[in-house]
Amino acid sequence: MVLVLVILLPFLLAVLVSFARMRASTVGTISALAMLTLFIISLLQLSSVTVLGASSLNIPWIPEIGLTLSIYVDGLALLFVLLITGIGVAVMFYAGQYFEDGRTAARFLALLLAFTGSMLALVLAGNVLTLFIAWEATSIISFLLIGFYGGDSAARRGASQALVITGGGGLALLVGLLLMGSAGGSLQIADLLANGDVLRAHPWYTAMVILILIGCFSKSAQFPLHFWLPGAMSAPTPASAFLHSATMVKAGIYLLARLSPALGDTLLWTTVLPVFGIITLLMGAVLALRQRDLKAILAYSTISQLGAFVALIGLPNGEGLKAAFVGILAHGLYKCALFLIAGAIDHATGTRDILLLGGLRRSMPGFALVTLFAGLSMAGVPPLFGFVAKELLIEAAEIDPLALIIVVLSAAFTVTVALRLFWDVFVRPGAPHDGVELHLHKLPRLMVIGPALLAVTSVVTGIGVGPLITPLIEPALGKPTSLYLFPPGGINLAFVLSMTALAVGIAVFLTRGWWLAWRLPTLTSGTQIYAGIIRAVEGLGDLLLTSQGGKIRYYLTAILTAVVLLLTIAIVRILPFEIQAIELKNASDVLKAVLLGLALVSTGASILFERHLLAALSLGVAGYAIGGIFLLEPAPDVALVQFLVETLATVLIILILARTSPEERQQAISKLWGQTRWGLMRDLTIATALGCAMTIFALAAVNSRPTPNSIAGWHLENALPQVGVNDVVAAIVTDFRGTDTLIEITVFGIASLGVLTLLARPKPGKVTRFRLRLRHPVRSMQIEPSGETEPDLPMIYRSRFADPVTQLAALLVLPFSFVIALAHIAYAGVAPGDGFTAGAIIGLGITLWFVVFGYQETKARLRWLHPTSLIGAGISVALINAALPLVFGREFLAFTQVADIYVADIKIASTLLFEVGICLTVFGGVSTIMEAISHPQEAEPL
Amino acid sequence: MNTLFALATGLMFGMGIFQLLRRDLIKSAMGFYILFTSINFLFLAVGAYDGVIAPYVDANNQTSSQPSDPLVQALILTAIVISFGSYALLLGLIAVSSRRFRTLDSDRIDQLKG
Repeated sequence: MVLVLVILLPFLLAVLVSFARMRASTVGTISALAMLTLFIISLLQLSSVTVLGASSLNIPWIPEIGLTLSIYVDGLALLFVLLITGIGVAVMFYAGQYFEDGRTAARFLALLLAFTGSMLALVLAGNVLTLFIAWEATSIISFLLIGFYGGDSAARRGASQALVITGGGGLALLVGLLLMGSAGGSLQIADLLANGDVLRAHPWYTAMVILILIGCFSKSAQFPLHFWLPGAMSAPTPASAFLHSATMVKAGIYLLARLSPALGDTLLWTTVLPVFGIITLLMGAVLALRQRDLKAILAYSTISQLGAFVALIGLPNGEGLKAAFVGILAHGLYKCALFLIAGAIDHATGTRDILLLGGLRRSMPGFALVTLFAGLSMAGVPPLFGFVAKELLIEAAEIDPLALIIVVLSAAFTVTVALRLFWDVFVRPGAPHDGVELHLHKLPRLMVIGPALLAVTSVVTGIGVGPLITPLIEPALGKPTSLYLFPPGGINLAFVLSMTALAVGIAVFLTRGWWLAWRLPTLTSGTQIYAGIIRAVEGLGDLLLTSQGGKIRYYLTAILTAVVLLLTIAIVRILPFEIQAIELKNASDVLKAVLLGLALVSTGASILFERHLLAALSLGVAGYAIGGIFLLEPAPDVALVQFLVETLATVLIILILARTSPEERQQAISKLWGQTRWGLMRDLTIATALGCAMTIFALAAVNSRPTPNSIAGWHLENALPQVGVNDVVAAIVTDFRGTDTLIEITVFGIASLGVLTLLARPKPGKVTRFRLRLRHPVRSMQIEPSGETEPDLPMIYRSRFADPVTQLAALLVLPFSFVIALAHIAYAGVAPGDGFTAGAIIGLGITLWFVVFGYQETKARLRWLHPTSLIGAGISVALINAALPLVFGREFLAFTQVADIYVADIKIASTLLFEVGICLTVFGGVSTIMEAISHPQEAEPL
Repeated sequence: MNTLFALATGLMFGMGIFQLLRRDLIKSAMGFYILFTSINFLFLAVGAYDGVIAPYVDANNQTSSQPSDPLVQALILTAIVISFGSYALLLGLIAVSSRRFRTLDSDRIDQLKG
């Protein structure tokens, strides 16, 4: 459907514009032309909608939650589309003239175009969820536009205030819409409109309506959620003109009008809407009188008019809808024009203070003329469009005398404001303030075209309101209607009243010297309440923050205590259970028990030893004992890995000990070992509690362990047939649970890269790239003796261990380690040892080199070693190997025998490739870690 | 035997937690490693078989005697490698922070203090 294009085109253009490198005026003109195209397209849709009625387009997205991308086009939607695109033409063209810098203009227009797209999506939405998404999108883009000049703190405050209010209202709206969807049985707007009776009779009706009203009131700046709109005036004027007078604030009005067939005509609706609307109408009109900032005047008068629309929509039987629609059009036209002119004045003179301005008709005659017509439309003077709107408003208000009085009074004040805008700015001689003359900046000549276009439209649509506007309003109302400039039956009450309002307004204007000087008591404004609430919330946050002690141990204690509590609750449920007796059946079991005891004692010793080196070594002993247990299990593959990794871990911690300052370690040992008794008790308690909980958990797990007919049996039976290896563990690692292994080596690679990043960052200030340094280590490694380097660091890069015996050992070990690794990979499937052990063995060889020769010399002599590339190569090989079966039409990681090749009794199969990949990754990872630790350069201390 | 392993799990876990709560950062890291190791015991404990020989099948897909559970072995293998990677990263962090804050006392590193 062509309207999908209408919605998508602004977004597309926004992306293109954001990369534009053109002059501001060019960007503006292009955007304006795009808007014009959309306007014409939508206009052409009008006839089909008039004849065929509403139509919709549905694309299912997430059917389970009822989210469908749907467009619902009827008269109301088209009315708004035409309003948005039509006013968009003028605003975008003006924006091109307003900004001087092309980049700023491009950024602004991209946002404005994105906003237009969101707004169009909102009014054309056929599903309440897509409507809500578009609603929130407009809020966010409005935030970005208000805070466009990010350096200005007032702009930032205004932007966040607007976002909080409209966003909070949006949340209420979401709940309300979901309630409505649930009550009405569908999230599609077409269905909901048809189910009006069901909704009105539903018990959730009140909640639904109140929530939706909160959302609409926040968006359309109704009392009491109106105060964000004057604060939003920090936006660049084209944004204020477009968003905050013509389109975004009317989103709430649109939604109310859209939902009024479904939710309207109940006591709640016809009471709340008119009441709040009337209050807003009067309040806005009154507050607009005494403002000094031009944009604030316009903002308050916008609030006032929006109140009128809300009140009109709330009238029973849809009586006020005609007045509302006409009013929306008229208001959009004149208000936008006035905003654009305010922007031009600001641009030209540098101020928007109405008390300082004056006499501009000589220097800005075109603008003066445009202001005249826009002001006449605002005041409701025939034959302009605003007059028609005002007549309709007064006619609709005739049902209630109080409402009528308020409407007439507000109309009068609006007249005053309009007169002030024209007279005080353009005609009255300027009042030089403190002797400072207004500096007049030359404006681009085409700047006046935007507002002029809107003003001319006000005039033309006023004179030709019958033929021009009726075809727009009729499809929106759904019934034939007539619009006229002068009532056919002659002068009626509405005409009399509007003339009265005009007269009163002029009178108030003429006496403005008197009431402008009144000193009124300042009441608490909404903004102050809002700021107070924000301060209270921040204060609460600060209060909670004082509970943070900052010490890691306290956090750990809190977490572990919670874990103990949760485990206790879980354990209490499973008690009591059976515990198997401890029996040592044969010699192997006895040996296992002995080794277990050794492991536990060593671990205990590592706790009790004060010196770090001894603790590390005893931990190593424990690890080897555990390796022995694995050997006795019997689990030779695991035992191998355990021995190798334990060696690596012990080497690792000893090297790290070398990297930390000995004074700090000494201090740690001496001061920290003697803990306070209370602290010790606390730690012991938590440890004991968790240990007991863990024991019970483990005993319970043992109790419910799988029977021999478990998946383990399946693995044993299927290793040879399916994978072709004798070693079941290797089969599981490389094939049955191959994805586990793939992810594991990736994690290992990432961890080692993390260590590299932490420990081996180049010194700040040196621009040499890290990779280059590694390729030419001897030449470019300049270790300047600075005051900050610790004196014991030289041990690392001028190794103390480099005497001939150790050097010979290192030289011999490395090639042998390669041979052993190759053997492990080749015979991975038939004997203990696999890719892990191969990689770890070579890694150990490299570690020996780093320890014996030191970083510089190792890098110099082992030119072929690029650890980080090895990690990448390894993971790539593993991934390619995993993806290879896809080529043969099988699944990812399925076993493939590449060919029935036997090379020296070794099968070339996917397991072999996987083992190679694992070896490379582990090798690369270990080398990276060791290289990082032995690297002489480290992060600078702060 | 499995009960013994289960008890050992709990004991080692408790020791690991105790170490984790030390003020000395290096000891704390060692406690972290002890925790990882204790879980390997848990895996051993819940193995399905009391194995006599290693899980290798011969050419006829037979085993001469009861093999040990291969699945837990594969899991332990993965766990060991991952624990080493985490250990290395943790020690790297401690090395860097000891240089940055000039202390190995975790109580002195309290930048999160409110």
